[in-house]
Amino acid sequence: MPSLLVLIFVIELAVQLINSIGAATINTLVWRIATSLPFPISKQFAEQRTKQKEYLAVRRELTATSSQDQFAKWAKLRRQHDKLFEDLEKKKSALDASQATFDRYLTTARLISTRGLQWFLPFWYGREPMFWLPYGWFPYYVEWFASFPKAPIGSVSIVVWQWACTGMLTLIFETVTAIVGLAAASRQKQAVPVAGAGKRPGATASSGEKKEL
Amino acid sequence: MSSAALINTDDPDALEPTLQSILDQRSLRWIFVGGKGGVGKTTTSCSLAIQLAKVRRSVLLISTDPAHNLSDAFSQKFGKEARLVEGFDNLSAMEIDPNGSIQDLLAGQGDAADAGDMGGMGGMMQDLAFAIPGIDEAMSFAEVLKQVKSLSYETIIFDTAPTGHTLRFLQFPSVLEKALAKVSQLSSQYGPLLNGFLGANGSLPNGANLPEMMEKLEALRATISEVNSQFKDDRLTTFVCVCIPEFLSLYETERMIQELASYHIDTHCIVVNQLLFPKPGSGCEQCTARRRMQKKYLEQIEELYDEFNVVKMPLLVEEVRGKERLEKFSEMLITPFVPPS
Repeated sequence: MPSLLVLIFVIELAVQLINSIGAATINTLVWRIATSLPFPISKQFAEQRTKQKEYLAVRRELTATSSQDQFAKWAKLRRQHDKLFEDLEKKKSALDASQATFDRYLTTARLISTRGLQWFLPFWYGREPMFWLPYGWFPYYVEWFASFPKAPIGSVSIVVWQWACTGMLTLIFETVTAIVGLAAASRQKQAVPVAGAGKRPGATASSGEKKEL
Repeated sequence: MSSAALINTDDPDALEPTLQSILDQRSLRWIFVGGKGGVGKTTTSCSLAIQLAKVRRSVLLISTDPAHNLSDAFSQKFGKEARLVEGFDNLSAMEIDPNGSIQDLLAGQGDAADAGDMGGMGGMMQDLAFAIPGIDEAMSFAEVLKQVKSLSYETIIFDTAPTGHTLRFLQFPSVLEKALAKVSQLSSQYGPLLNGFLGANGSLPNGANLPEMMEKLEALRATISEVNSQFKDDRLTTFVCVCIPEFLSLYETERMIQELASYHIDTHCIVVNQLLFPKPGSGCEQCTARRRMQKKYLEQIEELYDEFNVVKMPLLVEEVRGKERLEKFSEMLITPFVPPS
């Protein structure tokens, strides 16, 4: 069953990716994409943005208008300002609420498609062999372990395949993170001496003084 | 520049600069007169009362301002009971103290039942009453309304205190009503249970009586909601804003109008008081300078409040006190003042 093999791998890959990127980041990213697509919610967002711009313009004009010299204009702007502000607040809370709902749905969907499948697939396909080991290549205890818990002996079970995928991916991700970290650190190290070059003699001098004291 | 010229009133869309609309609106029952301190609220409310008395069966003028200027304006002592104004047969006036009346109300409750038993009850009511901002005003208005209802006046004019918070209780009717409704619902549901704990007559620890208190709260809720519904009805109630053509007064007026709009109280009249009309050729430097400033603000008022009846009242050389002077002054609320040219 190569498709199941690939599926398990993809799920594990997704879990690893989500873990390393962060669920909240993904949620905000998807939310941003959803709001920039031509859905009704994105229209609301655009409205909110134009309203915000309008509000800021009115506010700027309000601060630029002298309340003593042009009271009528000032008061009219003030009314407009207050109304816009109220509208904005109301809209903002509505949008926040819809974002929270969206987040909730997204989280549920994500959990079902990753953690849910992670548990469900091994449970459902526990007795099926993923692929067969070449006959006679491995000793019995290795074959027994490879077929753990319920797959026929001599095959690799879904659970073991999952473990293998997880282990591999963890290893790869850790390596990548370490390399990236190292690269970033080395770049920083290169940058530090340039910035600190001028200060260095002073620093040694001060430490020397301390020693004398 | 003719310093005596009025602001352009040729605009056909502009509403007439008089309070005639208030006189014509026969359904009006409550008229509030309000504004910053010292702008002439009392003079305006007295004048409006005099004019209304000419076209209504009976008019009552109530001052809720603790400073109580009605007595000064009419040169006659008024008290907590409505009294006819001298020289009129259908115009009465009374002065009430919003804070005093709630104390009276609470004290009255204390007296109504056993003095010893009600001591705690009064305290509890008082605590409750002062815990909610504006409830004292609400209760005093409710009390006034109750009194006034039995007296059957056609129109009642309130000369309000200059605090600007006179009507703030209208802000929280729904919250208060909801809270009180919940409390009474709870008490009716769990009353029997509580009574089991509290003893047969449901007396609370400090001598209060649970069912009785709930009854009182329920009555309070009912009266407040009635006050609200009456004051928010633009057929029954209107608010007359009084201001002087100066920045702070205008600012306060604008704020008040916005606030009133948020309470859904109708307001369509502004009285601009203390306008200077120096005689042509008058050598008074201060007067012409001030007139120029007033003119600037008047123009702003005309521009901003184009949906209002803006009444312009001159600053007189004498104090507006006594019946005759008030009557003469009140004429100008109806027929616009024509400055000497």
